[in-house]
Amino acid sequence: MRHGKITPYLFILPTIIGVFVFRLGPTAVAAYASFTRWNVRTPPEFLALGNYIELINNETFWLVFRNTLLFTAIFVPGVMIISLLMAMMVNQKLPGIAFFRGLYFLPYITAMVAVAMVWRWIFATRFGVLNYVLTNFFMVADPPAWLADKTWALPSLAIVAIWKQVGFQMLIFLAGLQGIPATLYEAAAIDGASKTKQFFNITLPLLSPITFFIFIITVIDAFKTFEVTFAMTGGGPNNASTTLAFYIYQNAFTFGRMGYASALAMFLMLIVGAATFISFRLKDRLVDYAL
Amino acid sequence: MKTIKLYTILFMVMFLVVSCGGAQVAEEPAVEDTSAEEVDSQESETADEEMEEPMDEEITMSYFMWDPSFEETEQIMVDKFMAENPNVTIDFQVIGTPDYWTKLEALSAADDLPCVFNMSAGFVDQWISDGLLYDIQPYVDADINPDDYFTGVFDVVRNKSTGNMHAFPFAFVETVMFYNKDAFDAAGVPYPAEGWTWDEFLTAAQALTVDEGDDGVVEQYGFWFYGRYAHIESWVYQNDGRLLNEDATRFAADDNAVEALSFLDSLIHEHGVAPEPKEMEGIRQQDVFPLGLAAMWVDGAWNINGNRETIGDDFDWGIAPIPRGPQAAGDTAYGWPDSMAIGANCPHPDLAWEFINFMTGPERTIDLTFGGKIPIYSPVANSEEFLEADQLPDNKGFLLEWANNTGPTTFTPGWGEWRGYTDGAGFEGQIDEVFNGEADLETALSNITEYANGVLERFYP
Amino acid sequence: MTTNYSTSSNTTFLNKVQSMINLRLLRSSMAYVFLIVFAFTTIFPFLWMISTTLKSRGAIFSLPPTLIPDLLFQEGMWDAYVEVWTQHNFLRYTLNSFFVAGAAAVGQLVTASMAGFAFARMKFRGSGFFFALLLSTTIIPVEVVIIPEFLLMARLNWLDTYLPLIVPSFLAASFGTFMLREFFATVPEALVEAAVLDGATTFQIYKDIFLPISIPAMTTLFLIAFINNWNELLRPVLYISTPELRTVTIGITTFQNEFGAQWNLLLAAAVISVLPLIIIYIFAQRYVVEGIATTGLK
Repeated sequence: MRHGKITPYLFILPTIIGVFVFRLGPTAVAAYASFTRWNVRTPPEFLALGNYIELINNETFWLVFRNTLLFTAIFVPGVMIISLLMAMMVNQKLPGIAFFRGLYFLPYITAMVAVAMVWRWIFATRFGVLNYVLTNFFMVADPPAWLADKTWALPSLAIVAIWKQVGFQMLIFLAGLQGIPATLYEAAAIDGASKTKQFFNITLPLLSPITFFIFIITVIDAFKTFEVTFAMTGGGPNNASTTLAFYIYQNAFTFGRMGYASALAMFLMLIVGAATFISFRLKDRLVDYAL
Repeated sequence: MKTIKLYTILFMVMFLVVSCGGAQVAEEPAVEDTSAEEVDSQESETADEEMEEPMDEEITMSYFMWDPSFEETEQIMVDKFMAENPNVTIDFQVIGTPDYWTKLEALSAADDLPCVFNMSAGFVDQWISDGLLYDIQPYVDADINPDDYFTGVFDVVRNKSTGNMHAFPFAFVETVMFYNKDAFDAAGVPYPAEGWTWDEFLTAAQALTVDEGDDGVVEQYGFWFYGRYAHIESWVYQNDGRLLNEDATRFAADDNAVEALSFLDSLIHEHGVAPEPKEMEGIRQQDVFPLGLAAMWVDGAWNINGNRETIGDDFDWGIAPIPRGPQAAGDTAYGWPDSMAIGANCPHPDLAWEFINFMTGPERTIDLTFGGKIPIYSPVANSEEFLEADQLPDNKGFLLEWANNTGPTTFTPGWGEWRGYTDGAGFEGQIDEVFNGEADLETALSNITEYANGVLERFYP
Repeated sequence: MTTNYSTSSNTTFLNKVQSMINLRLLRSSMAYVFLIVFAFTTIFPFLWMISTTLKSRGAIFSLPPTLIPDLLFQEGMWDAYVEVWTQHNFLRYTLNSFFVAGAAAVGQLVTASMAGFAFARMKFRGSGFFFALLLSTTIIPVEVVIIPEFLLMARLNWLDTYLPLIVPSFLAASFGTFMLREFFATVPEALVEAAVLDGATTFQIYKDIFLPISIPAMTTLFLIAFINNWNELLRPVLYISTPELRTVTIGITTFQNEFGAQWNLLLAAAVISVLPLIIIYIFAQRYVVEGIATTGLK
């Protein structure tokens, strides 16, 4: 498309101003803070690389990092697959489908404190719904103490997080599905392509820019998930369910270690930034723009 | 290639921005100081005028409180103070507990702390060492008659090096043993008496543990606890144990403390009179006793309020001393105050003190005190009203006797972090692994010592 | 013979129709089974939440937990809602939240669609750089930038106003820009070329082609922005002090105290706060799903 030289800059100007003032400014301060000891209450004190050295030598940090990767490995595919499935289900022309579209979106808009309360009941060791079902219908003799179990706490959190989040990704997938011209499916049906074939030959390729976008934001979500941990386990038992974003929150606000928290945040930015960078490089190969 | 180039530029610019950001931060205090000075000079002007004409000057002073469920009651106190001081407006704000500290810290960073605010025992050392709390010792010396106050808990709000008070308690709590009288009657066990011992406690707990049908699912445990501070420290002190060294700068559990911890563990794994903590996951810790899942429970007396609500008429219950361990010569109670502090830069410290003195004195009657907390002003605490004779527990007066035994605490700077107060890690996480049968006490203790001292070393190198 | 033929052909035809209907019926009933199974998992916690608000205080934590509330059709069934509504000014809080979330969301539509359009369809120096910058700000965890942001707002003298809640969200819509960039990228180039031939300016192309064709995406962004701002917790708590300016999320936190929460009230408040979102969602999803149809570009 042809356009004037400064036109694009005018289009991005408001956003760039906003990003510089309200996002990059504070981010720069956080970057500086990562080289200091700062309890927020009193002025920071320069530490040079102290926080980064501590981070590398800190066992808890590596445990938390491992937890974060595990969480991401469950969360990202879980959210992507389920939300696409849901979007396709509610994209059908069926009576009452709008009702289901609404129901599927409920978890995303409900306050986390309320959601957490219910899920803690579901996962409760002795009187939980889940263990009731397991012992009575599946004859599991000794079901785990889900949220209090070192092995199960994190996967349990990931399930709740997926459940809470999918409505959001579903909505974006739905908007994407709406953009695929119906004529393509009609033509394919005339050619005798099966539904499965249509999915792989039409839906997936045409959805790929949106899928890519959803993938990126889901990865970012995974790394920034904090509310679920905060409301459900507080990172317990003994840090078994602490993920990076929650660890950052703890250090920033509960432990009064904003400097260390900022160093952790820089590390998180580096990891997610690298993942995003790689994704963008792969994008050209995997994503089809219908240009 | 193009993207690589762009990313290189991005990172270069990010670093540039970072370094500029550094400069910006370095400048910031200077800029802020000017604005702060402006405010200060304005306000010190008003302060000066106030001294000249104290009665006519209109003063607005902010007061932050952390308990929304108590907002209306507190408003009554605030209104009374404003009625007595017509020239004063109290800007009274209540912030839900989870966000209270975040907001205070942000305000502190902006050099805009409220004049008066609630201060908890767990954080007070930290705030004192940050120099953010006004030294109120001169006011206390001038205005406070020690005979009228429970001075035993004052140590918690003192600056550990100067001994001066930097906050003033408005109420305090003690940990006590809650016990289910109906369950005791059913098991034919005598109620806990003063001076009862671990052996007597264990005998009672065994009788109170009920497994109907011997199916391995215990319907009622004799006792229950986990790694929470109120659950653990109470037993340590009742065995004359200490978790910290003499000057409270390092974690160093002594033999008596270890004996208490291993006694607690034996309740679960040897005697089976208490559940592993993970068995109770999913039930709020303060509900286990009220729901009848355990016949005894040690926690803070503030739970009297919640117990009344949840237990209702389900069973009769009372409060009792925590049993004495073999090493205890007498009783050592574990208690701490909730306080009010003055922000170090408050322009009206005299008025702020006057307000605190009012809020913590005779005006705060029992109906204006949170159930289960003890008002710091002893004539009120010793009044007939405190006993709340029409409600359970019928021996609420025991709290006042027990309060006379108040001993040390484990509060230090960084306490929340090494104790695992909010995140269930640290001390709490490690000891819970022992109670859950996943680790042995010796390993856990060495881990705790290493972790806690790592935290404490940041404050006491 | 002719009759015979036509009968048989009719039968086959009817059979075919019959089997097609059967297949469709089977398909759609299968679809409903799936839909309902999924719906059950999403609605169950929500039902529980509503059930809890209809319980008496003592019954909330009774064991084993019950789904049927003890106050159902009893006196005092709606007590929690009445208490929430009368004790706190929830009507006011709701209107405040509407204002904040609405302003921020509308603002995002404007700024994000403009920037998204530039990033998707224009070639200019530094576009990759600016875009990477934008994206990197979505990665940084809010916990470490909130204090510097607070200091900035304090210096701008914006404390205890809605500006810190609206302006950054309005201007720095990184997520929205990214999202619309991806959607705009899928618009066929042929449409643009046709418009260029007609002599349309860049701004006209943006306004007359990209905006209308992206109604589903724009509506989705509006919903997301509205909901996220509505549910924002940390910033309102930090920035708002005056009770009259409180938003619903601050209202909900007032049911949490030192020793836990007043669950029936807290959940009643949560139900109240989610209702406007449901209404907005129902209203908006017509445009998500039928947006394309209304623009006539099928």
